[in-house]
Amino acid sequence: MNPSQTQTGARRLSLGALARRPETGSLIGFVVVFAFFAALGGPVFMGAPGWSSWLNIAAEVGIIALPVGLLMISGEFDISVGSTVPAASMMTAMLAGHYDLPASVAIIGGLTTGLAIGFVNGLLVTRTSIPSLIITIGVMFAVMGLTLGFAVMIKGSTSVSYVPDPTTKFLLGQFINNMFSVTILWWLGFAAIFFYVLHVSPLGNWILALGGDRESARNAGIPIDKVTIGLFMASGFCAAFVGVAQVMTYQQAQVAGGQAFIFNSIMCVVIGGVLLTGGAGSILGILLGTMTFAVVNQGVFFAALDPNVGSIIVGALLLAAVLSNDTFRALAMSAAAKKT
Amino acid sequence: MKTTKFLAATAVLAMSATMALADGPNIFVIGGKPDDPFWSRVKLGAEHAGLVAEMHGGSVTWLGPQNYDNLGPDAAELIRQAIDQGADAIVGPDWVPEAMDPAFEAVVAAGIPLVIYNAGGIEAADRLGAMNYVGAVDYKSGEAAGIYLAEAGHTNGACVNTLPGAANIEAFCSGFNDGMAASGGTGSVLQLPATAFGDSTAVAQAVRAHLLQNPDITALFAIGDQDTNASISGIQQAGKTGSVHVCGMNFNDSILANIQAGTQDCAIDQQGYQQGFFATAILINNVQYGTTIPTREILTGPGIIDASNVELVIAGVQAGAR
Repeated sequence: MNPSQTQTGARRLSLGALARRPETGSLIGFVVVFAFFAALGGPVFMGAPGWSSWLNIAAEVGIIALPVGLLMISGEFDISVGSTVPAASMMTAMLAGHYDLPASVAIIGGLTTGLAIGFVNGLLVTRTSIPSLIITIGVMFAVMGLTLGFAVMIKGSTSVSYVPDPTTKFLLGQFINNMFSVTILWWLGFAAIFFYVLHVSPLGNWILALGGDRESARNAGIPIDKVTIGLFMASGFCAAFVGVAQVMTYQQAQVAGGQAFIFNSIMCVVIGGVLLTGGAGSILGILLGTMTFAVVNQGVFFAALDPNVGSIIVGALLLAAVLSNDTFRALAMSAAAKKT
Repeated sequence: MKTTKFLAATAVLAMSATMALADGPNIFVIGGKPDDPFWSRVKLGAEHAGLVAEMHGGSVTWLGPQNYDNLGPDAAELIRQAIDQGADAIVGPDWVPEAMDPAFEAVVAAGIPLVIYNAGGIEAADRLGAMNYVGAVDYKSGEAAGIYLAEAGHTNGACVNTLPGAANIEAFCSGFNDGMAASGGTGSVLQLPATAFGDSTAVAQAVRAHLLQNPDITALFAIGDQDTNASISGIQQAGKTGSVHVCGMNFNDSILANIQAGTQDCAIDQQGYQQGFFATAILINNVQYGTTIPTREILTGPGIIDASNVELVIAGVQAGAR
């Protein structure tokens, strides 16, 4: 269903200036998917319970998808987010729940874990010629092993529980109106920051240039190592943030878990129109991709479909997104060529 | 150099063999890593049964692998080690039948009494000619949760399956549905997509959506403590705290706190301590007095933890037995 509709949509709008916007494909995908599930899901899906349901999902994966998207725009992958989430939540729960330190110390500890993992990723990527896909897979396994090892060594268990104080719970783990996770607000905050970085500050052009052509970017005087390390630290930080927020929401940390974020974040980014090989993409696109992904994921439960159908739709969307990316890019290129 | 090392190793083996051959019953128990939280409880159970062996002048020796990377062959090697060291009786789990069955057959061929525990079921014990099977059955754990919730009046239940296709989870869920049906209720399965596994938020939101779309559901069964906590959050977000009741498989500190606080009705436990204790005790008595347990398939679980016994369980956790 989706591939054909997105494709026809592309053709119909091909003359408009809209079609040259990189996020047009993502917007069409979102509208189609939302309409589909709104029709099937009925009033509950259209009401506050439905909206909050998919927004809660979107917020968590979205916070990770933003920096993962920036990395992909700069031509890098970060698989290690899958183990950064549990590592940070375990660190936070361990410091606060096991050692009884104040919540602020535990949160800083958790976030620092993420920054440190990101720094190691960035350092290895810039100092070696190994592709970031491989490096971050390696780091992911190392972090997974360390998390499990330390948890069993210190706590003798694979999970640590912690009941946060009301202020911390209010900031990171509460549900507004018992429905909307406070993480949604944090997601919007992160989106604003990353929007500024990519689309307003000069850093944005550097990131795009990096993904376009690394050597030219270096020759143009862009401090490519610093930018790359910074981006990896951003993704470590954001993954850690989600880990910390999960501790405050579910009041426990597990050594496993978080693996789902690897593919889910990449899917949000690619559905959002980011070019897999780098050099193109936008924050608005990533946000739309994340929302599309979340609507499909939650929509299937409201539409009483087999959840496997949801996986099929996400898979189809992914392929459609890559296909339409190519189409839109070709359109943009030809339009640009005509101008000159 | 190599020869001396080999000789030294043989000497150590021979020494340990003679040391193990004390007067009383010498039982060898093959199990998981001693620092594995679950297996540390099984080991404690075996050691407590071992007090009786020591009373008779015997011993209980725990043999566990260094890691789980090469589980089947490593465990088979441990079984052969137990035979070589002159075990009077052996307890072992049939984790990987392909790799371990030949070693178990060697135990039986040597005339050493054998009890299979933890994994394999009574089928493995029958196939191998073992005296008995001591352990829990996944299906019955799910069934216990279904009966518990249905008898408490929550007759429409759903089993939260975050890993569709995994045989043990399917067994938990079909047991739950049958348990519900046996007590006059109806059970169904909430299947989650594979992308949700290990993601508490995805599980919580799926549970919440399912409860909103199916307002008749008043009972949930979740497999594992993480999914249980996520389900409780989903219930809360659906505004159904107090009207939808939850039981979960396994437990940890936060689950016990949930049960104390009343946000969770019950936890189902396979009671690892009992596996170590009874499997070892059956063999000690058999070697010492020739007694047998005619009841075949000794079930150590499901044990139910709810508000009525949670304090006792917390004390048991502190003692390392639960």
